[in-house]
Amino acid sequence: MITVEQLIKSYNSVRVLQGINHTQTRGEAVVLIGPSGCGKSTFLRCLNQLETADSGRITIDGVTIDASRPVRNGQEREQQRQLRLRAGMVFQSFNLFPHLTALQNVTVGPMVVKGRPQPEAEGVARGLLAKVGLEAKAASYPAQLSGGQQQRVAIARALAMQPKVLLLDEPTSALDPELREEVLRVMRQLAEEGMTMIVVTHEMQFARDVADQVVFFEGGRVGESGPPEQIFSNPQHERTREFLRRVVTK
Amino acid sequence: MSNSCAQRRLVYCYVAVVVLAHWQCPTIAAADHLEQIRQRGELRWGADAEGGAPYVYPDPEHPERLIGFEFELAEALATQLGVRATMVQNQWDQLIPALDRGNFDIILNGLELTAENQQRIAMSRPYYVYAQQIVTRSETTGLSGMTNLDNKVVGVLSGSVAERLLKQTTNVVWKSYPGNVETFADLKNRRLEAVLVDLPIAIHYARPDPMLKLSGAPFAPGYYAIGILRQDQTLLVAINSALERMAGDHSLERIYQKYSLWDERQQALSDYRPEAAPTTKPCITLRERLGYLPLLLKAAVTTAELSVFAMALAVIAGLAIVLLRLYGSGPIQWLAQAYVEVIRGTPLLIQLFLIYYGLPEIGIRLNAFCAAVLGLGLNYAASEAENYRAGIQAIPRGQTEAALALGMTRWQTLRQVVLPQAARVVIPPVTNDFIAMFKDTSIVSVITMVELTKQYGMLAASNSDYIVVGLMTAGIYFGLSYPASLFANWLETRLRYDHC
Repeated sequence: MITVEQLIKSYNSVRVLQGINHTQTRGEAVVLIGPSGCGKSTFLRCLNQLETADSGRITIDGVTIDASRPVRNGQEREQQRQLRLRAGMVFQSFNLFPHLTALQNVTVGPMVVKGRPQPEAEGVARGLLAKVGLEAKAASYPAQLSGGQQQRVAIARALAMQPKVLLLDEPTSALDPELREEVLRVMRQLAEEGMTMIVVTHEMQFARDVADQVVFFEGGRVGESGPPEQIFSNPQHERTREFLRRVVTK
Repeated sequence: MSNSCAQRRLVYCYVAVVVLAHWQCPTIAAADHLEQIRQRGELRWGADAEGGAPYVYPDPEHPERLIGFEFELAEALATQLGVRATMVQNQWDQLIPALDRGNFDIILNGLELTAENQQRIAMSRPYYVYAQQIVTRSETTGLSGMTNLDNKVVGVLSGSVAERLLKQTTNVVWKSYPGNVETFADLKNRRLEAVLVDLPIAIHYARPDPMLKLSGAPFAPGYYAIGILRQDQTLLVAINSALERMAGDHSLERIYQKYSLWDERQQALSDYRPEAAPTTKPCITLRERLGYLPLLLKAAVTTAELSVFAMALAVIAGLAIVLLRLYGSGPIQWLAQAYVEVIRGTPLLIQLFLIYYGLPEIGIRLNAFCAAVLGLGLNYAASEAENYRAGIQAIPRGQTEAALALGMTRWQTLRQVVLPQAARVVIPPVTNDFIAMFKDTSIVSVITMVELTKQYGMLAASNSDYIVVGLMTAGIYFGLSYPASLFANWLETRLRYDHC
């Protein structure tokens, strides 16, 4: 369902992704961990083309982008958009649209991109807001919501496009500790329902509980990957052990 | 070393003395202007050399030198007074206020000897007998007298006798111009059916031009005379006797012959006997001032219409420009940026002249209102484009990313996410420009639009009433711009979305 081959990305002369390979099947929840600046977020942003890689291939649900061919013409741009339609994105800083209500934030995608009629889009949106526990906040503007509530609206917004995979880039890092749990609860529920997900996070408990596969990033490479019990209980690499020691003592 | 210090101190002293001397000049002048002219060895005469042929104008062969029958007259007059002559450039319809301010000693520039002028300043005996002449395009027929001008658009020089004549006839549509070159240009451009001017102007500009003709005989003769401040009685006497001598010894005739301006009417100069002229300046009553109000309000409507249409154009064109600049392909981006830089880097006045007088040369003939809206609108479009650019770039990158991640196209992202948020950011600077435009509309008087400032200038100059009319005009401007400002505040509040 998701295949990434030899993904390479540099900023100026610094290689932040040094040839990443990754495969993931439908319904799998993958958690990316690793020290800051190791390329986790860049990898996620390359997957839905917010960053374009220098070389390598990305395939999501049958749509393939060859990163070594830069996007120039309309056809390539449409291919890029098709990939994005399959990969929903949740940002660390929420990025809700401040001029729209919570409900409008969720309906704007289906209405504008897919041309869904407003009543239908609103019906779906209310269902999704109920799912994240915010049906009462449908008419609120983002500025009237707490961080945790905003992030849950952002998840509903991404789900409204019915993506094949949900990409979550440190979804709880900008939140106060007491607000994180409400977001993590929603994410757990999605994983249980069989949503294909890639989550970049520092929440090790979440990774242990939810992940089917944990990928440890280190210096722009995949240092180690495997099921959570292996990574957390019996890491093979010294780097992984060192990282986990630091995170757990913190 | 000490020597050069002493020299420098001497220079400072000299400068101080000169400055002090000049400071004291005006008070001496009030006592006796003639004495001052003789001491200074210079007669300063006010005139407008811009399009000023054949009165006073730059010599086409040596543009740094002035010629013209009045230029030679001024030289001769100065010689009679035993001084040299210096021309002081001043816009023609503001000559009398400038004389009042003391910018020069006399006005010598086709100033008509009328009761109206004599109420404001003293006037010498006449130096030339002029008449009114109708000028038309060479193919036009039947416009040989005032009665033929009914329902025709006729151009005149602002503040001239011709303008006053046309104002008294109800059926003529007249347009005032700041200079003669522009009137004849518009006659050829077919914006005018005829031009009514003083005969010397017609002789100089229209007679040699194959596209124009002098239509019918000259009529409504009158005198040109020199304008002098009312208190300068000794100067007036000196100038009158000089003019009388020059009429008697044919030196006037020699000058006029040279410019083909001598005709049998000039005989009246030697025989002239002054009538008793009104000498008191009438007080302007409150009732008269209230009478200005309808004229000012009518001009204010023009100003408001100009601003609203031009701003609408600027707001829309500015958006197109900024979108091309930010999202267009390479050469288009470059063109959009070049537009902004060129428009910002050149004066609005020149842009207006190019649109109004330049475009007809390539076959595009706009009326004054359209040209003004186009000029102002395209000028402000550059500024609005920059406002929008600042507004668009103020929207965090995460907003665009979130929209793109939803699968929106670049245009959908712009339309749904970026522009609605940028709109609020740009309201204050755009309002500011709108209010600035209210005031910038005054510049379009150069292409014959009578808007508020032009109307103020005409009323104030013809009544010498700059303060009261000025305050009334300023009040109207404020009355127009303040509601615009309130509206913008309301709009800004309405578009708020951070309701906390």
